[in-house]
Amino acid sequence: MTLSVPDQLAQLEAARQIVLADAGLYPQIVQGILPIVGANARLELRRWGAEFLAETFASPTFASYQKENSAVGVLQILKDLLEKPSEDAAVVKSVVQTAASIYCLVFRYIIANPHDVPVWNQMASIKSNILKRWDTAATGVRICCIKFVQKVVQVQTPGVIADPRRPDQNEVSIALVPRDHPLIPPPRLEPEASGLLDRLLNAFNEDKSDAVLINATLNCLGTLLRTRQSIANKIISAILTFNPMKQANSPMTPKVRVQIKSMERTTRALLMNVLRRNENGPFVDRIKAYVDRLARIRLDVFDEGSRKRGLPSEPTDGLDNNKRRRLGAELLERPEPEPLPPGPVSLGQLFTLTKDPALATFDVTSLTLDIMVRIIPPVLVRIDQQALDQALNHVRARYLSLTKPPPQALGDDEEDYEPDFEPSEDREQIINKADALPPEDPLQSPSEVALGPFKLPQPPPLTAEDTMQIGKGTISRVFSMMNVLEEAPLAKKQRSGLNRLAGSSYDKEAWTTVITRLATRASAGLDDDSSEDDDSKTMVEKQVTGSSLSDGIRQTLWKFIIEDFRTRIPVAIAWLNEEWYNDRIQKQSSEQQKDGVTLPKPKQHYGKWMLRVLDGIVPYLDAKDKHLIKFLSEIPEINANVLGRVKGLARDPERVQLAVNSLLYLILMKPPARDIAIDALEDLWRNYDDAKAPTAKHLAKWRPQVLASERKPSPAPAPNGVQHPKESKPTPSSAPSPPVEVEGEQMKNSQAGQVVAAAG
Amino acid sequence: MATDPRLARLDPRRTATPTQPPPPPPPAKSDQKPLGGYDGVEDADPMAVSRNEEGGFKLKFCTVCASNQNRSMEAHLRLSLASYPVLSFGTGSLVRLPGPSITQPNVYPFNSTSYSTMYQELSQKDPRLYRANGILSMLERNLKVKWGPERWQDWPIGKPRLDQQREDKGSRGAEGGVVDVVITCEERCWDAVVDNLLERGSPLNRPVHIINVDIKDNHEEALVGGKGILDLADSLNQAANEERRSGNGNGFDERVPELLAEWQERWPQLPALWTLGWF
Repeated sequence: MTLSVPDQLAQLEAARQIVLADAGLYPQIVQGILPIVGANARLELRRWGAEFLAETFASPTFASYQKENSAVGVLQILKDLLEKPSEDAAVVKSVVQTAASIYCLVFRYIIANPHDVPVWNQMASIKSNILKRWDTAATGVRICCIKFVQKVVQVQTPGVIADPRRPDQNEVSIALVPRDHPLIPPPRLEPEASGLLDRLLNAFNEDKSDAVLINATLNCLGTLLRTRQSIANKIISAILTFNPMKQANSPMTPKVRVQIKSMERTTRALLMNVLRRNENGPFVDRIKAYVDRLARIRLDVFDEGSRKRGLPSEPTDGLDNNKRRRLGAELLERPEPEPLPPGPVSLGQLFTLTKDPALATFDVTSLTLDIMVRIIPPVLVRIDQQALDQALNHVRARYLSLTKPPPQALGDDEEDYEPDFEPSEDREQIINKADALPPEDPLQSPSEVALGPFKLPQPPPLTAEDTMQIGKGTISRVFSMMNVLEEAPLAKKQRSGLNRLAGSSYDKEAWTTVITRLATRASAGLDDDSSEDDDSKTMVEKQVTGSSLSDGIRQTLWKFIIEDFRTRIPVAIAWLNEEWYNDRIQKQSSEQQKDGVTLPKPKQHYGKWMLRVLDGIVPYLDAKDKHLIKFLSEIPEINANVLGRVKGLARDPERVQLAVNSLLYLILMKPPARDIAIDALEDLWRNYDDAKAPTAKHLAKWRPQVLASERKPSPAPAPNGVQHPKESKPTPSSAPSPPVEVEGEQMKNSQAGQVVAAAG
Repeated sequence: MATDPRLARLDPRRTATPTQPPPPPPPAKSDQKPLGGYDGVEDADPMAVSRNEEGGFKLKFCTVCASNQNRSMEAHLRLSLASYPVLSFGTGSLVRLPGPSITQPNVYPFNSTSYSTMYQELSQKDPRLYRANGILSMLERNLKVKWGPERWQDWPIGKPRLDQQREDKGSRGAEGGVVDVVITCEERCWDAVVDNLLERGSPLNRPVHIINVDIKDNHEEALVGGKGILDLADSLNQAANEERRSGNGNGFDERVPELLAEWQERWPQLPALWTLGWF
């Protein structure tokens, strides 16, 4: 050994480079350097050696099975170094680190070699040496002692045996040790581990916590919490009693700030790690509450950086619960008042401190004044100053907590850090988020330049032609609506009877109502300026000038019905009913207004349009068509003109039966029209050869005298003067006949007959 | 060819650089002359002498930011220029660089994309844009520091770093694949590192100080932060050496909170946070 220390160090460093490059050489190199760095070597060499051993047995590249053998080989030197009087702290630190790494290796070796007493004795004395240093050594060494103890606790607490057949694959723990092991009997080691854990956790109850030790403890407990379920509860309970802000009441030097902050954050980091790993664990709620409280206290302590303040919510002086137990200080047990319920709180609740619900609901105002006066003075005299103060403080604290905004929720999303200057969401997400924002209240943020209320100018008045055009556009839209709706499948019709409200359901029927009323009533009286006598003339004029709006609608309606009369007969019936009704209304109102003023007689539309519809459909009726009967039965009023059209059918031998049936129906079902219908039947009988036979049997019932007179030769025309349809073909614009009312006005029936005659 | 001076206003090359990034670093020729900071300013460095005379003991550092591009790399460069062993990582899921708009970042996987690949790709895409926003200068700096961005969560702690990392700045002394101090540049990175170490289960039994130095993610703040981190590293390293010399004091670890508090007084604009964890 003639080499100088630097040269030796250089050689050792070269050897280290070799094993760093090739971990397979560790066993030889470790064996080789042990003599050089032993307890009797120079300090520099011992330091280097201890550091090297710590690195070696921590190295993830050094295979585990080789480590075990080498670990047994280095026990002696570790023991020597530890037992060397006043050994350098750095050396001891590295040795303790090494011991922490090899403890489980040696433990496993002893499981497999239960009779290697010397090895276990070496390990045991290393262990006891380290435990002796734990409380007294330099801080740097003490933290490594803490880590060593954590390893011992981990090994000597039963772990999970993943695969009992392959003990070498399993994590080393006391669970692998046979119950009757001569050197490491579990019944003795387990209690030892439990005691060491207690000592480890006691750090949290120390009066003056050293941040370095606390952080070192917290950060190594994570492994125990994860791998040793059996003691997890104990550890967490201990951590939850820990108050990292204990020193917040002492003068807040910069160092104290660093320490408090670091303990608080480390505690939180550990608990959040636990929470994340088992979100349904038994202590989740307690942990959450603790973390919340910690955040609140931190806000108070480190409020906006520099303001110094004591702990408001938890006294940490001699009245702290843990301390109190130790000091034996007796405190009067004061019932803690109920915490306020969340949400809005009434003044009464704020001041109610009692827990007795009966007392809390007692209404003091029910006492009379003189009783109060009698009660209060003795109460005031006897009041306990302390109790009063305490009660005041409680109310004050409640009030403060209510007026203070709730503490910020912790930003606990622990997912991977994403730098904030590059948003992780894409454009769309940002837009969505912006959409989700509450709309800006215009009252809260008035714009810089306030705009006065803006009024659209009045549009120029429409010309009559424009009105007409626009009106027609509207009409055609309504019709297109009806067409579209027609295609939709007919929903089951609800019959709401008398309660039906027209045009309320927005189906086809509703639009029909709208359009018919638009045609009949909307402009009633407005464009009926023409007097009745020159009606035919005005009609012509109107058709030339494009007609009035309502006539336009009527024209369109008529076309609409004729296009497909079989399905649209109901529309026709509805329309004609509206026309008839409107005619009556107009007539009534014009009669009422007859106060001397000669109002023009309102124009009647029903008769005219009814005939047009009938003329439109009659040519297309076939012999078995029921639509004619339906139409005739449901229009509100029948007159001779109508029946003239019906009789015309009989000229076609195929449709004679249809004409006869229609008339018969009217005779049977429409008493007001019965007489004119029988007249028509008689006319058929007289003048249409093909109709002789079918009409005869009905006449035999309704007007037998005609048949009887026939037997007497009387070729004369019908006495009532009904003419042949050919000659009496009316024009659609012919003068309307006075109507025959459907119901009630039977008297007019005979009149109708006369009118018909007159018309001829 | 003469140009109309009125057209100059329309020339995007002259108008589109509202925040001129710092110039690219001087070519790294550390053997020729001592390098100044990344900003090219020669700092009066009182620690330089003491750093070199300390019998070779150096704390090993690791700098961490989100994408291992800006803040951690600036600090990496500074610490390595001060000849500290240093590694650097990012804790994000992907390497993200600003793109043509805020919603179109350029995204690369960690560990498998080199800085020079990114440099080439971006200088082909839109050299004007990426020159103007400083990305290309940043990549130029980075590719002279190490090969490519590495992800913290994928780092095999304790695995020797000998081969491809030989060329990396700050790799000398960090061959063992462990460090003494991790310095993060944002609280979320600190959280990620602390949490990740808890997940790993501390198999190495090696203590490590994890310190956050909050730095805003832009070129200017990264420069300031880099200086602050170097100052912190110097004071920590000085204390470690003092403790090593005395041999039986309370040790370096004990002093870290106090050193950090003192440093915080000097750098109030960089809020710090610390804990002691385990590899």
